[in-house]
Amino acid sequence: MNEIFPNLAVAYGEIFLGIGAMALLMIGVFKKDSVNLVSWLSAIFLVVALFLTVAGTGDVTYTFNNMFVADKFTNFMKILVLVAATLAVIMSREFFRLEGDDRFEFPVLMVLSTLGMMVMVSANDLMTLYMGIELQSLALYVLAAFKRDSERSTEAGLKYFVLGALSSGILLYGCSLVYGFIGSTNFSAISMAVSNMGEGGAPVGAIVGLVFVLAGLAFKVSAVPFHMWTPDVYEGSQTPVTAFFAVAPKVAALALLSRTLYVPFGEMSASWGQVVIFMSVASMILGSFAAIMQSNIKRLMAYSSIGHVGFALLGLIAGNAEGLRGVMIYMAIYLVMNVGMFVCIMCMRRKEEGMVEDIKELSGLGRNHPALALAISIFMFSLAGVPPLAGFFAKWYVIIPIVNAGYFTLATIAVLASVVGAYYYIRIVKIMYFDEPVEEFVAQKSFPMKIIATLSAVLVLAFIVPQISSPVLDGATAAAQGLSQK
Amino acid sequence: MVTAITFYIFATILVGSAIMVVFSKNPVHSVLFLILAFFNAAGLFVLLGAEFVAMILVIVYVGAVAVMFLFVVMMLDINFTELRKGVQDYLPIGLLIGFILLAEMVIIAGGWTMTDGIATAMTTATPPASEVTNTDAIGRVLYTDYIFLFQLAGLILLVAMIGAIVLTHRKRDGVKKQNIGDQVRRRRSDAYEAVDVKPGSGI
Amino acid sequence: MYQTIVFLPLVASLIAGLFGRQIGDRGAQVVTCGALIISAVLSWVAFFQIALAPGDHALNVQVLSWIVSGDFNVNWAFQIDTLTAVMLVVVNTVSCLVHIYSVGYMSHDPHIPRFMSYLSLFTFAMLMLITSNNFVQMFFGWEGVGLASYLLIGFWYKKPSACAAAIKAFVVNRVGDFGFALGIFAIFMTFGSADFSVVFSDVTSYADQSIHFIGMELDLLTTICILLFIGAMGKSAQLGLHTWLPDAMEGPTPVSALIHAATMVTAGVFMVARCSPLFEYAPAALEVVCIIGASTAFFAATVGMSQFDIKRVIAYSTCSQLGYMFFALGVGAYGAAIFHLFTHAFFKALLFLGSGSVIHASSDEQDMRNMGGLRTKIPVTFWMMTIGTLALTGFPFFAGYYSKDMIIEAAYAAHTGVGSYAFGLGVAAALMTSFYSWRLVFMTFFGESRASKEVQDHVHESPQVMLIPLYVLALGAVVAGYVFSGYFIGDHYEDFWAESLFLAGENVMEAAHHVPTWVVASPFIAMVVGFVTAWYFYIKEPSMPGRFVATFRFAHALSFNKWYFDEIYDILFVKSAMKLGYIFWKRGDENIIDRYGPDGVSAAVVRVAEKFKALQTGYLYHYAFAMLIGLSAFVSWFVLGGQ
Repeated sequence: MNEIFPNLAVAYGEIFLGIGAMALLMIGVFKKDSVNLVSWLSAIFLVVALFLTVAGTGDVTYTFNNMFVADKFTNFMKILVLVAATLAVIMSREFFRLEGDDRFEFPVLMVLSTLGMMVMVSANDLMTLYMGIELQSLALYVLAAFKRDSERSTEAGLKYFVLGALSSGILLYGCSLVYGFIGSTNFSAISMAVSNMGEGGAPVGAIVGLVFVLAGLAFKVSAVPFHMWTPDVYEGSQTPVTAFFAVAPKVAALALLSRTLYVPFGEMSASWGQVVIFMSVASMILGSFAAIMQSNIKRLMAYSSIGHVGFALLGLIAGNAEGLRGVMIYMAIYLVMNVGMFVCIMCMRRKEEGMVEDIKELSGLGRNHPALALAISIFMFSLAGVPPLAGFFAKWYVIIPIVNAGYFTLATIAVLASVVGAYYYIRIVKIMYFDEPVEEFVAQKSFPMKIIATLSAVLVLAFIVPQISSPVLDGATAAAQGLSQK
Repeated sequence: MVTAITFYIFATILVGSAIMVVFSKNPVHSVLFLILAFFNAAGLFVLLGAEFVAMILVIVYVGAVAVMFLFVVMMLDINFTELRKGVQDYLPIGLLIGFILLAEMVIIAGGWTMTDGIATAMTTATPPASEVTNTDAIGRVLYTDYIFLFQLAGLILLVAMIGAIVLTHRKRDGVKKQNIGDQVRRRRSDAYEAVDVKPGSGI
Repeated sequence: MYQTIVFLPLVASLIAGLFGRQIGDRGAQVVTCGALIISAVLSWVAFFQIALAPGDHALNVQVLSWIVSGDFNVNWAFQIDTLTAVMLVVVNTVSCLVHIYSVGYMSHDPHIPRFMSYLSLFTFAMLMLITSNNFVQMFFGWEGVGLASYLLIGFWYKKPSACAAAIKAFVVNRVGDFGFALGIFAIFMTFGSADFSVVFSDVTSYADQSIHFIGMELDLLTTICILLFIGAMGKSAQLGLHTWLPDAMEGPTPVSALIHAATMVTAGVFMVARCSPLFEYAPAALEVVCIIGASTAFFAATVGMSQFDIKRVIAYSTCSQLGYMFFALGVGAYGAAIFHLFTHAFFKALLFLGSGSVIHASSDEQDMRNMGGLRTKIPVTFWMMTIGTLALTGFPFFAGYYSKDMIIEAAYAAHTGVGSYAFGLGVAAALMTSFYSWRLVFMTFFGESRASKEVQDHVHESPQVMLIPLYVLALGAVVAGYVFSGYFIGDHYEDFWAESLFLAGENVMEAAHHVPTWVVASPFIAMVVGFVTAWYFYIKEPSMPGRFVATFRFAHALSFNKWYFDEIYDILFVKSAMKLGYIFWKRGDENIIDRYGPDGVSAAVVRVAEKFKALQTGYLYHYAFAMLIGLSAFVSWFVLGGQ
């Protein structure tokens, strides 16, 4: 009971989204045929929330009994989450307009899920952490199963739900262990307690608790060995859902992971470092190798995201501001590449068959739709990390810190994994330009989709220009320093 | 002494019934064992002086959740023996993992030491039970310190509700529903039509 | 003005090459021909300003700085002296005429802009070569003409033989170019500069110095000169590296006339003349030049006597005449060599273009056995060819008479061992030259026609656009020797050449004017004997060649099969290189490197990928197990091992 009335100003974005989501529900229920309206309003609300977030000072501010924090780091990550969510809402609007089966709950669930992610990013307490994760995940489970008449979609939703519940259980168990051994759920308090424990370090129970928490969070970022759901869910869900899955929750979960590791358990980096190293290496290797044999583009993107998470985790291993900055830059670039790529995947449609997802269907795209093929090539080369595209810099900024921190073997593995990964990315380019053409796709006429794809491609290409990349780099630098300074 | 004996009784039955939930052949029995487990857990809470939580557990979990489980199990004709077919294949590894985790938990619990800070931090969280009632104590913090989590929990329930509706609710044709607005709005002209029938031609 | 001369062809080439589609065939022809006419006219202006006006008028024109790297400085610059001016006249005049001729000759080809563009590109590269004031720029031009030659020989790229010939020309030239490049490196190493002015002024201080190379002690300047000469041998098709030239006849005939008769092949001669200050201090190298030149002259003439392809005969003739030029250089008669280069450009281009006209008239037939009796059907071409032949064989007062006789006399006047060798072979070659030249004329224009009926009906005189260049060249072939002999080799020698040619010792040409009468008469006699023999063999007694061949079977086989050079090279280099390459490819690359390198790695990657794929079973409980196993592994790590 530190304050009579909590400081709401730092959480205006979240509050606005919460109320907005309920308002959207009302509109959707009481106004007939309001899917379009609700969708666009959702997008607008997300943008408004973005502005409300950016309006914050960026000073470290706690509220709600220290359970909620806002600083430069949360601002940066929330911007990423909200941008990703907004684009996903717009993309799904365009998708359902073509595919039919549009219900107004879809954007509302996305908004609620996004709210959960924002809470995750701002969590300063194990309880807030859990609440954020649950709000986010529950909405995602529903989204995954949203196409209820499709067996694949239902299966994806169910698998995700069951495994998600398991991971939540693991997470909760970890939280209770931490609480039991340290005596608080609050990040600031835990941090203090851990640093007070001195030479002997934290009790092994707290470490095990942390490992459980880590496992729960690793499930959310789909790091090996908690990644198994990813390919199935990515493939089974509808494409806009996958597009949403691939970016926003990853960013939020990684933000949460970073804060959890850096703030409350920053002193224990020697312990969690080993777990993260294992997860990072295993993710990079599995992401690169397993993707090679995939024929479904969404499944391939799933493995690609596993691999990318492995790379992003590298930055955390360094354990300093430089590494954290790398993670943030990585996620920003990852967002742009993935959004662009998924817009392109949504363009894979034929008159009779509807959406197609097999990689072979891309053959001859270079001739039929040169612009689309060019965009995909740009994203593929960027995902592969070919300079001078953005994806190269993403890898650069996470590998340099670990090299500086002395993890040479790790850096070598990372580079080798990215070489293997390049194979399947560039194979797609080969298929598009050199294989026998198949029937061409229906041209994408939607204006917003074209804008998103073009903008993403331009950003990926132009990241090398200092004027484009400096806002991201500077923002990440400031945010990272704020977080790891404490 | 009495407390200790009661604790062990509750605890033994709780663990025993939890095992039976997993291993009983008849799913209905499983659910019933689950209810038994809930009751015993509630008993443990009462022993701790947390009677509010104990009652919530009985009302919500036993009264709502477990009963719904029972309905579901009885309504759906699921052949559980069929589902359990593969268990033998995975039993060894499952047991192994379970055993390892259990052993490790024991090791951890064995090494549990309470530092001073932790003890005070834990006790300050709750006011002494003799001064305020459970409900009062929860009420004091639920809408102040934990207002944020409380609201979030509300949103989570909202999402759960939306999810349930989205995934299961379907508009069916041929289902009659009462719409009061329509009834009130109804006019005479909607109800009947005067037809001038020519002799010998029929309608 | 000099910039215009050099760069106008480049501009024309780029316009025709890049915008050929837009400006069309006619546009490409107009642009390139126009540019070349302007360049040619300006070249003559330059020739009169630089060479014919008394005194030294050598110019250095800076264009731009090219390479600046440490001590190594190279500029784009033109050195315009008499030698360059002569070459400018030769290159631009012949090139201009060939451009015009091509308008007619290539009129049925679907790729006219490309052809014209290549021709102009060649001209530019050649101009770059002859105007450069340093070795590096010269090498640029040297490679540029090689490239253009490759492109033009392979112009009809759908013809496998043309592609093979183009590759052969390129590869054989590589051997020479390698020597040339090594020579340039050695020059830079020795003199610290690649500029002619620096190198030539310092040359005396390096005379008689030696270098050590893998245990051998070599004379420095001789080594440099021989390396340079190897380059010249490649470009100028001297004995050993000559095999590409006859095959190069696969290219269109105007190309043969321009590149493989008048200009590019003379680049070697030009280079040696340009480097006369170097060669003068390397007498051993000059002897090598002389021997190779004389041998080539003789060898190519023997082969020329037995060939049936009209263009190949002329090609061997070119080879032979280049040999003359080289042994002239070898005995120190630089002026005579360049003079022969000058006159040869006219009459050899005339012969090639004339033969092109013949080929054009007889429906692309090149085999002389299928010709005959064309004299009455294409009289203009016949007369032009006759003029060219008279000039080539050295008929008095035609161009070749002045230059070739001068070379032979100079070889005699040198009074050295190699000089006498060159003199003897030169006279013999003159006899054979006369024989094969007249044999060509007789087989083509006299006797009964041996062509098929259809071809005979189709024979027609070439259009004016092809004949006018012939007239111009014929004029040159008749009067060039008479008009210019005074300047090139005669009384105005010193004034004319000024500083552009260097002589360390006695002027051998001074001596050449005072040789015994029998020496003067010997080429003429050889020519007459050759003519009479040819007349007897092919007009008087047409059965004679058959009987001759039957009698001297070995000699004929040797000649007919070009002394088996191609076969020997095939066995020595091509086959063995292929065999070696095959071993490296199959055994080394595929069985060792690929198997354990890329292929092995990629196979391993696929195996691993399949294993990973198999992990993803789709069963929920597998996934849950994976998570729990992972979790318990982590926990065990800390509980058991971590602390």
